[in-house]
Amino acid sequence: MSRPSSPGGERWYRRLGSPGVHGVLVAAALVLAGPFLWEFLTSFKSLTEIGQIPPTLLPTRWQASNYDALFRALPFATMFENSVINAVARTGAQLVLCSMAAYGFARIDFPGRNAVFGVFLSVLLVPSQLLIIPQYQIMQDLHLLNTLPALFLPGMFSAFGTFLLRQFFLGLPKELEEAARLDGANPLRIYWNIMLPLARPGLMALGILTFLWSWNDLLWPLIVTTDTRKMPLSVGLASLQGQYTTNYPVLMAGALIATLPVIVAFIIMQKQVVEGIAFTGLKG
Amino acid sequence: MLHLRQAPSTEPTSRRRRRRRAKLKNTLWALLFIGPTAAGLAVFYIWPAAQTLYFSFTRWGAFGGHTWNGLDNYVQLAHDPDVRSAFMNTIWFTLLGLLSLPISLMLAAILNQRGRKGVSVYRTLMFLPFVTMPAAVALIWRWLYSGDYGLINYLLRHVGIGGAYWISDPRTALVAVAAVGIWSTVGYNMVIMMAGLKAISPHYYEAASMDGASPIRQFFSITVPLLSPTMFFLSVLSVVGSLQTFDLVYMMIGHTNPALPQTRTVVYLFYQKAFIENDRGYATALALVLLLVIIAVTAVQFRLQKRWVHYE
Amino acid sequence: MRNPLKALGVVALVAALAACSSGGGAGASGSPSAGQPATITYGLWDNIQAPVMQKLADAFHVTHPNITVSVQVTPYSDYFTKLKAAATGGQAPDVFWLNGPNFQLYASNGMLAPEQINASNYPDALVKLYQYQGKQYGIPKDFDTIGLWYNKTLFDAAGLKYPTADWKWADEQAAAQKLTNPAKGVFGLGAPPSGQENFYSTVFQAGGSIISADGKKSGYDDPNTIRGLKFWTDLIQAHYSPSMQQMTDTDVVRMFESGTLAMLYGGSWHASEFANNANTRNTVDVTELPAGDKKATVIHGLANVVFARSAHLDAANQFTEYLGSKEAADIEASTGSVIPAFNGTQQAWVNAFPQYKLQSFLDELPDAVSFPVSKNTSVWNTMESDILTKAWSGSESVDQAATDLATQMNAALAKEGQ
Repeated sequence: MSRPSSPGGERWYRRLGSPGVHGVLVAAALVLAGPFLWEFLTSFKSLTEIGQIPPTLLPTRWQASNYDALFRALPFATMFENSVINAVARTGAQLVLCSMAAYGFARIDFPGRNAVFGVFLSVLLVPSQLLIIPQYQIMQDLHLLNTLPALFLPGMFSAFGTFLLRQFFLGLPKELEEAARLDGANPLRIYWNIMLPLARPGLMALGILTFLWSWNDLLWPLIVTTDTRKMPLSVGLASLQGQYTTNYPVLMAGALIATLPVIVAFIIMQKQVVEGIAFTGLKG
Repeated sequence: MLHLRQAPSTEPTSRRRRRRRAKLKNTLWALLFIGPTAAGLAVFYIWPAAQTLYFSFTRWGAFGGHTWNGLDNYVQLAHDPDVRSAFMNTIWFTLLGLLSLPISLMLAAILNQRGRKGVSVYRTLMFLPFVTMPAAVALIWRWLYSGDYGLINYLLRHVGIGGAYWISDPRTALVAVAAVGIWSTVGYNMVIMMAGLKAISPHYYEAASMDGASPIRQFFSITVPLLSPTMFFLSVLSVVGSLQTFDLVYMMIGHTNPALPQTRTVVYLFYQKAFIENDRGYATALALVLLLVIIAVTAVQFRLQKRWVHYE
Repeated sequence: MRNPLKALGVVALVAALAACSSGGGAGASGSPSAGQPATITYGLWDNIQAPVMQKLADAFHVTHPNITVSVQVTPYSDYFTKLKAAATGGQAPDVFWLNGPNFQLYASNGMLAPEQINASNYPDALVKLYQYQGKQYGIPKDFDTIGLWYNKTLFDAAGLKYPTADWKWADEQAAAQKLTNPAKGVFGLGAPPSGQENFYSTVFQAGGSIISADGKKSGYDDPNTIRGLKFWTDLIQAHYSPSMQQMTDTDVVRMFESGTLAMLYGGSWHASEFANNANTRNTVDVTELPAGDKKATVIHGLANVVFARSAHLDAANQFTEYLGSKEAADIEASTGSVIPAFNGTQQAWVNAFPQYKLQSFLDELPDAVSFPVSKNTSVWNTMESDILTKAWSGSESVDQAATDLATQMNAALAKEGQ
């Protein structure tokens, strides 16, 4: 490790060393986590304190009354349940459907493959606001307005997920599949027994992202539900905003509680990504 | 691969028949794997998009009535100065947004080193922008950027530099908002990159270390090429996402902000025309022009991938 | 590209199948005759008023046990997006709130059912606001006017007498000068480019107009209008008001609440907010707007309307009739959040926060001018923001900006007629 392979390259790396790198990490963590910390602090402040300029950092008096007000303002448990159903349905469906489609695009050669993938990609390129009204009318025609399926049905199909996993599959070496095909395995078995386990990091990544997006999705659930009991948390929180004033501390309290499950889910899943990788090295 | 490539005309019939059967089999398998997603996308995304294509040639009323007016919307677009500035702003956002990738890569590579302590903690902290409520993000960044009371100017004053009114000065607003955009995507890019890094076999690094390559050398010779499919994916997404910037600008720049013309993006203008001014036909035409731009840019990116993306 | 036609064919087939299965709109059951149980939906946007609306719904249910009202709150920023989507498909709430700028859009597109009201029960300006082509489509619910809020502590510190209802522009400008203290970062009077809260009223006070009575011509090229606008840009140029950039960074209401702004043109709706804020609870007060050439304030208010394609027209009309009654107005007034429109019920609102001279908002009624609207108000509202902001930030002269605005606004109004 100490044989200098390039004249300047060795030296500055050693000089940077551990404290320098650590500094970068700490600074990055602070910048990235700072606003979340501020959200936390705000949820304990009073409404008056929020309006003050210059703004205060720590609450002058920590009060939990905002959390009380939150639970009185919203049917929290029901909305939580709706959020969970929405996120789990979308994530589960996407993990299965997108990985299947990704496998199809990456490993099955069929006529028109590039064209169909192009059409898939084009879905990604369309701004979602453009489609809101026609999608609403489709739901109306299907008589699904204001139902739970309306929340997650369009979100079960994803061009993004297909694209992500396709890249993953393309990057995997083909030797295992070749071996299996020579043994007579059909694509379904190859997909299930070989490709899926190898793609675990990609699946985890897609799972986290989809879960989060579904959890935070606001505009679509807002438009498609009218009954408070069918709304997910994101819509419930948005309804806390008044026309002229918003009770920000209560809103922040709601945002924190709504985010907690997702953070927990992330911590758990992240461990899986780190520790559960059984990447059987093919080259060695 | 499951396909055989040969000129059909010189082959005996039996082999041609077998080839056709293989093609048919592949198509059926493809239908099975891709069909469900394709069907869902067709119903919920492609069909609505096709509908809006039609409406871009009409004058589309707020409540659905429409009259055909041919290319009028598109002609009007070409002459609208707001449209021109919106596209310029959007291009700037896109270029600046790409800066998120090298930053995420550096952080992901550092965290991926074996033996680094506290990785899960750092990783969770860096992921927080993604779970911070957008309203909170806008609030706190507006405070950070505040000309009189903000933290950034406070720190700058301590170093002796005067700060600007970052969000309301037409010269700085776009960069300020773009910085928040970079901030918000670093964590998400990192998650995907770390997954990609994990998929690189450690044997490569071991072999390189035994050959005496420095970590920097290993980074450029092993990590970068093997991570290139992921990088490609992320750069396409970054560009496509930035070209559609809306939420961030909408939250941070109000309609009476003097810097609005310098930060208004195409989708923001679309939203304004469609939902506030009720000129939906015109807005749809605008969105479709944007879509064409996105398609063109993405096609170029795909074409270029042969130069720098390394697939096994 | 290998055989793109085939791929397109697949997609087209699927799309066609989807289109086939989606035929048939939502069928509305026939209007139940009076006496049959019905549930109607009531759409609104203010979360703070939602409990009061629920009270009204419950009170109505007591006297009309066969009609249940379900209150639906959508945040204001998305209210009209959702409403338009719903209305297009015939699914709008049976009864919902509308405001002035959006009213004519819905009325002219046949989205509203005509209403019966006793016009003498409500302020004239409000009744007219919700008429279209001679027919009444909305029942006024509440109204708001603009007043001069001021910080008593800052006035005391400067040794000035508090503003009175007899003040004129000159008095106000003199006070603003004395109250501005650059060393402490305190300004005299806030001048954001806000129509409803700031310049509409001063335009009317100068004898100008925003839009002609028939809604076809812009009033921005009127010299009186320009004088009304210059009132504000002069303040900014003299530094008695924060700069445009400062006001963009920090909202003037927050400045007022933090004691860095001595005077503020604000709506009657600020009363409950100031009363709930510990910093302003007892240190601010309000009076009528100072006069220009004459006294004037812009008046605006919400109305309850009935969806023309409601499946329960009869029940909906009964509910709106109740909402427009004195009894409902009394319930609304008791919370102090809005001023009810029904004549004679406003005293409860005045009494809600006795520390403020809220009567000022009512005393202005004789001089109130209707909120300027047209069929597609938001188009030229956007122009107002885009163009006048330039005058406010000093990159363009007020005369130039106003003339530009008039030209563009006239073009937009002409388009409305088509």
